[in-house]
Amino acid sequence: MKKKTFAAIDVGSHELAMKIVEVSPQTGLKVVDHIRYGLDIGTESYKTGKLSYEHMEELCHVLREFVKIMQSYKVEDYKAYGTSAIRELDNTIIVLDQIEKKTGIKVSCLSNSEQRFLDYKSIAAQGEEFHKIIENGTAILDIGGGSIQLSLFDKEALVATQNIRLGVLRLYEKMRYIDVKPSQYQSVLAELIDTQLAVFKKLYLKDREIRNLIVVDDYVSAVIKHVYPEIDKKGFVERKKFLDKMKEMQIKNRADVAKQLRIGEENVPLLRISSQLIKSALEFLGAEYLWVPGVTLCDGIAYDYAESNKWIKPAHNFEEDIIACAKNISKRYQGSKRRGETLEQICLTIFDSMKKVHGLGKRERLLLQIATLLHDCGKYLNMVSVGECSYHVVMNTEIIGLSHLEREMVANIVKYNHEDFAYYDEITKDGGIDKDAYLVVAKLTAILRVANGLDKTHKQKFKDVKTNIHENELWIQVDTAENIALEKGLFWNAARFFEEVYNIKPVIKQKRSI
Amino acid sequence: MQEKRNYGAPENFSNRELSWMAFNERILGEARDKTLPLFERVKFLSITASNLDEFFMVRVASLKDMVDAGYSKPDIAGMSPKEQLKKLNKATHSLVSLQYSTYNRSLVPQLEQNGLVIVEKHEDLTEEQAEYVDQYFEENVYPVLTPMAVDSSRPFPLIRNKSLNIGALLCKKGEKGEEEFATVQVPSVLSRIVVIPSKGEETVIILLEEVIERNIQKLFLNYNVICAHPFRIMRNADLSIDEDEAEDLLKEIERQVKKRQWGKAIRLEVEDGVNKRLLNILKEELDVEEDDIFKINGPLDLTVLMKVYGLDGFTHLKNPPHEPVEVLEFNKDEDVFTSIRRQDILMHHPYQSFEPVVEFIRQAARDKDVLAIKQTLYRVSGNSPIIAALAQAAENGKQVSVLVELKARFDEENNIVWAKKLEKAGCHVIYGLVGLKTHSKITLVVRRENDGIRRYVHLATGNYNDATAKLYTDLGLFTCNEAIGEDATAVFNMLSGYSEPLNWNQLSLAPLWMKDRFLYLIEREKKHAKAGEQAHIIAKMNSLCDKDIIVALYEASSAGVKIDLIIRGICCLKVGIPGVSENITVRSIVGNFLEHSRIYYFENGGNPEYYLSSADWMPRNLERRVEILFPILEKNLQEKVRHILDCQLKDTLKAQILQPDGTYDKIDKRGKVLFGSQAFFADEATKLVKEAKKQVTDKRVFIPETKPEGAEEE
Repeated sequence: MKKKTFAAIDVGSHELAMKIVEVSPQTGLKVVDHIRYGLDIGTESYKTGKLSYEHMEELCHVLREFVKIMQSYKVEDYKAYGTSAIRELDNTIIVLDQIEKKTGIKVSCLSNSEQRFLDYKSIAAQGEEFHKIIENGTAILDIGGGSIQLSLFDKEALVATQNIRLGVLRLYEKMRYIDVKPSQYQSVLAELIDTQLAVFKKLYLKDREIRNLIVVDDYVSAVIKHVYPEIDKKGFVERKKFLDKMKEMQIKNRADVAKQLRIGEENVPLLRISSQLIKSALEFLGAEYLWVPGVTLCDGIAYDYAESNKWIKPAHNFEEDIIACAKNISKRYQGSKRRGETLEQICLTIFDSMKKVHGLGKRERLLLQIATLLHDCGKYLNMVSVGECSYHVVMNTEIIGLSHLEREMVANIVKYNHEDFAYYDEITKDGGIDKDAYLVVAKLTAILRVANGLDKTHKQKFKDVKTNIHENELWIQVDTAENIALEKGLFWNAARFFEEVYNIKPVIKQKRSI
Repeated sequence: MQEKRNYGAPENFSNRELSWMAFNERILGEARDKTLPLFERVKFLSITASNLDEFFMVRVASLKDMVDAGYSKPDIAGMSPKEQLKKLNKATHSLVSLQYSTYNRSLVPQLEQNGLVIVEKHEDLTEEQAEYVDQYFEENVYPVLTPMAVDSSRPFPLIRNKSLNIGALLCKKGEKGEEEFATVQVPSVLSRIVVIPSKGEETVIILLEEVIERNIQKLFLNYNVICAHPFRIMRNADLSIDEDEAEDLLKEIERQVKKRQWGKAIRLEVEDGVNKRLLNILKEELDVEEDDIFKINGPLDLTVLMKVYGLDGFTHLKNPPHEPVEVLEFNKDEDVFTSIRRQDILMHHPYQSFEPVVEFIRQAARDKDVLAIKQTLYRVSGNSPIIAALAQAAENGKQVSVLVELKARFDEENNIVWAKKLEKAGCHVIYGLVGLKTHSKITLVVRRENDGIRRYVHLATGNYNDATAKLYTDLGLFTCNEAIGEDATAVFNMLSGYSEPLNWNQLSLAPLWMKDRFLYLIEREKKHAKAGEQAHIIAKMNSLCDKDIIVALYEASSAGVKIDLIIRGICCLKVGIPGVSENITVRSIVGNFLEHSRIYYFENGGNPEYYLSSADWMPRNLERRVEILFPILEKNLQEKVRHILDCQLKDTLKAQILQPDGTYDKIDKRGKVLFGSQAFFADEATKLVKEAKKQVTDKRVFIPETKPEGAEEE
C-alpha cells in the first residue's frame, strides 16, 4: 500500500511547529520533516487576551510558508491545533477565522484535556517501548507553559490524571516576583513545586508503586541527548544519573550551560525549572527510571488522525483508560462498585438492543458507561442534592481522553438521572452544550434512568437482564425469584421519560425459572 | 589551568600573515623550479602576484585599519598590528624582489630561448616593429586614452585601485615654467599584451604600457614630456572589514569611522629608476609612506603573465591538461537515483568529473517523482549549468530553494545577477543569512518513491562551480543515507529561518557546534593515547589558525597522539616545540591543482572515523560561517579517503615540510622514490576507467540483450 502523507501543525504558545508524517499500516508513523519557528504569542495572549497585529502577521506568514511546504510534500491532509495561547484569547473565534481567511489553514482550538490526551497518544504511539514501560507502575509528567499534567498508570491503564498549575513559564514568572538570592533560587523553586506535589501524592498515589516516569516537555527533551551522549536512542535514563547531571548543570553559569547544551541562553532558566519539576516528580513518586521519548504534540495529532482514519491500528486501548479512570473516581467518592457494575450491565444491554432506535455509536456507548460508573459520585458530598453534586464532581475531575464537551455530557447525564430533566433552552443556557449533544444527553439519560429504576433497591435483582424491542415496547426480561414489586412500582417515573424520548414504552417481564 | 596557559603562550604560534607569506613563497618556489615546464613556471609567478594583490586588499588593509583605529590587541603570536605590519613589509619587499629576479634572470631569458621574445623596453624595438607599434597605438589605443593633467585649476585625479597608470612630468613648450604632473590610465579594455608580427618562428610581444610610453608625446602636444613612468596603487577603499577579524575590532572601527581615511593608498608600485620628482609628487598626493613604496625592476603587475600562459602554441612547454574521467559508479543506462541507492558514491575532483553533480540536478529537475530540490550556492561559474537546471526544475513545478551567498568575496555582483534569474524562474531564493556567510556545500533532492519519501544528498568540500572543479582538488559525496537525509532537511529548515532540530544524527554544523565537535574528537584521541592505545589524527585543510584547536592539538601531541597535518596555506601551529608539538608534522602541497579538500581522520582506538568538510580550522569557518562536517560511513569509501591521505603523506615531489623555525623545506629526495600525489591521482583515475572499459570490450563472450523495458509479453 502506498504511504500516505500527513501534516500536523501545532500553533503553540511559544512556537509554531509542523511535522510532515508518512503513514502506512506496515511501518506506522514516520516523521519526515519537523519544522519549528519560535514565536511567543503566549505572553501576550495570557496578559492581554488579544493578539497584536504584528504577531498575527508573523503567525500568518509562517503558516503560509507551512502551506508551501505541505504542497511540496504533496500531503493528503493536515490538522492544525492551537493550544493555551489561542485558548486563552478573548476573541479566539475571530482570530481563528482571520487565520483561515489569510492562510487557508483551519486551526482548531484544543482544550487542556484534549491537548494532554494528544500528548499522551504521542507517547503511546511509540508502541513497544511504551507497552513495556507501563507493565510496571508508571507516571506521565507532561510539562507545559502554564501547567503540568500528572497521570498515573495502574495495570497498563491510565487511572488518574491531574492538572497542576506548575507550568514552566508560570513558575518562571512567579520566581521573578519572589526576591531570592541566586544561591537560594533552586531551593525556593523546589519548595514551590513540592508543596503541590505533596498534595497530589496524598490524593492519588496511595499504595501505588511507581517505577517509571515518562516526561514530555520542551526543554529537557531538547537537550537530553546532549547531556547524556551515552543515552540509548529511545531516551531512557536512570534517576541517579539524571539527578547527578542536573546538579552539575546548576553549578555552571548560564552561558556555559547554553554552550554545552547548544541551546539559547534565554532557555537555560526554563530548562532548570523543567529539570526541577522532573526531579521533584521523581522524588515524590519514587520512580527509578526516566523516559524522555522526545515526542511533541504534533506526534499526537498525527497519530490521532491516522488512527481515526484507520490508516494504522490503534497502539493502545484508550477507552479502557477512560473507564479505568472513571472507576477510580467512583472509588475515591465511595461509590458502590457492585451497583455501578449492575447499572453498567443493564444500561449497555438496553443501549445495544436499541441501536436502530437511538442511532448512537461506540463513543456514546462509552459515555453511557462512564455515566453509570459515576452515577452517584455526588452523594459523597451530600445525599440530598446528589444530582447537582455529582454534576460538579464530574465537571471538576479530569478524565483524560474525554473532550470538554463529552465531560459536560456525562455530567449532565449523571445529574438528570437524579433530577427532573431540563429541556433544551434550560440546559444550553450556560453554553456548555449544543443541540446534538443535548439529544445524546437526553437519550442516554433516559436509558440510565430506566436502569436506575430497575435497581432502585440497590440489590442487583436485575443483574442478568435481557432486553428486546417488541413493536412499540421495550421488553425488559428479568430472571429472578425475588420480589420486584418495589421496582415495578417505582418504575413508572423512569419509564415515562424513556417513552418521551424514544416513543417506546419499557415493560418489565419477570420469569421465575427456578 | 596552568598547563593550558602554557600551551597557549604566544611563542607557540606563528603569525598568520607571515605564514601566508611563506605560503606565497612556496608558490614562488614552484615558479623557480627548473624541473617544471617553463610556461607552468610563468603561471605560478602570475599566481604569486595575484595572491599578493588580494592579500594586500584584504589583510594588509585590515591591519592598517587596526593601526589607524589605535587597536593594539596582540594576535595569536603576541604581535601588535604595528609589529605585524613592520615584519610584513620586510617580507613583502623581499618576496617582490625574488619575484622579479625570477622573472628577469630566469624566465625572460628562457622564454626567449624557447621562442617567446618579450620586448621589455620600447627603446629596444626594431624600426619595423616600432612602426607597427605606433600604428597600433594610433588605431587602437589612442582613442580610449584619457590623459589628465594637474595644475592649479585641475586637482589631482582619482587613481583607481589596482589600475596601471603612467605618470609624466610635463613642461609647456617654449616656456621655462614649472613642471606639471599628468597621468593616464593604461586602459583595461585592451589586452596588455601586444603581439608584434614577426617573420621568424618566434613570437614577439610588448606590454601595452610600453606602447603608450613610447607615444606619450602625442597625448600632450603643447608640452614637452620630461619623463614618463608607469605606477600602480592599491587602496583599502570600499572594502568591508575582513570577516577574519574579531568583532570587537568591528565595533572599534565603527566608533572610529570618521577618523578612517577611506580609500587611502596602502601600496605604491613604481618602476625602478623612476624620476625622483615624479615619485615625490605621487608620494605626496597619494599620501603613501616610504615603506609602502615598491620600486619594481620589471613590468608592474605580474598577473599579466596569466595571459602570457594563455598565448597560442607552446603546448610542449605546458603540462598536458588532465581530462577529468567519468565516475564509474554512475551508469548511463540508469538514472542517478538508482546509482546512489545502490551505494554511497565518493568523487575526487578534478581527477574525476564534476559532471555527475550537474547531472544529478538536471535529472532531479525533470524526474516526475522529485518533490523538491534545495541547494546552497557560494561561488558559481559564469554560465553555470547548475543554475540552468535549477531554473528548469522550478519551471517543472518542483519546489526549489536556493541559498545564494552574496557575501562571497569579490563575487557580489556576479551572484546577484543569477540569483535574480533563479527568482524569475520561480525558485525560492534566500540571499544569505544575517551576520553569517553560508559556506557549506550541500544539495538535497526529496523524492517520493513507492516505499515513501527518500532523500538524496550531495555534500562536498568545494563549491558548486564546474569551472573551478577542474582546477581545485575536492571531494564530494552522494548518499541517500536516511540519517544524513534527515539532517540535510534540518539544515535547509534552519537556513530558511526555522529553529534548530531537536537533535542531529550525523552532520555537525558551524557556527553552532562544529568546533566543539572537533575539540571533542581531538580530546578523544588524547584519551586513547593516555590509555595506551593507538592514537592518530590526520587532517588536511587549507589553513590552520584557530587557537583553541591548535592548543587542543598541542595537548593531544604531548599526550602521545601522532598528528599529521596536510595544510596548503596558513599554519599558525609550530612543530617541534619540546613538550608541546613534538608529535606533530605539517606538510604543504603546492601543485598544479589547488589543494582544496578538507579531510579529517581520527583513529579512535582502532575504530577510525573519517570526516569531510567545507571548513578549515580557522575562526572564521568555525565561528562566523555556516559550514557542515559530514562523516564517511561506508567502509569502502573510508578506504578511498585513507588512500588519498596516505598518498599525500608520501608525496616527495610537491610536499614541503614545516620546520621548527617556521620555514618549509622540500623533501630530500636522495634514496627515495619520487612520488607526486597529484600526478598519481590523475594517472590512477585514468587507468581505472580504462581498465573498466577494457573489461567490457575484452570479454570474448557475447551477452544477449535482456528483454527491453516495457516490452509486453505475448
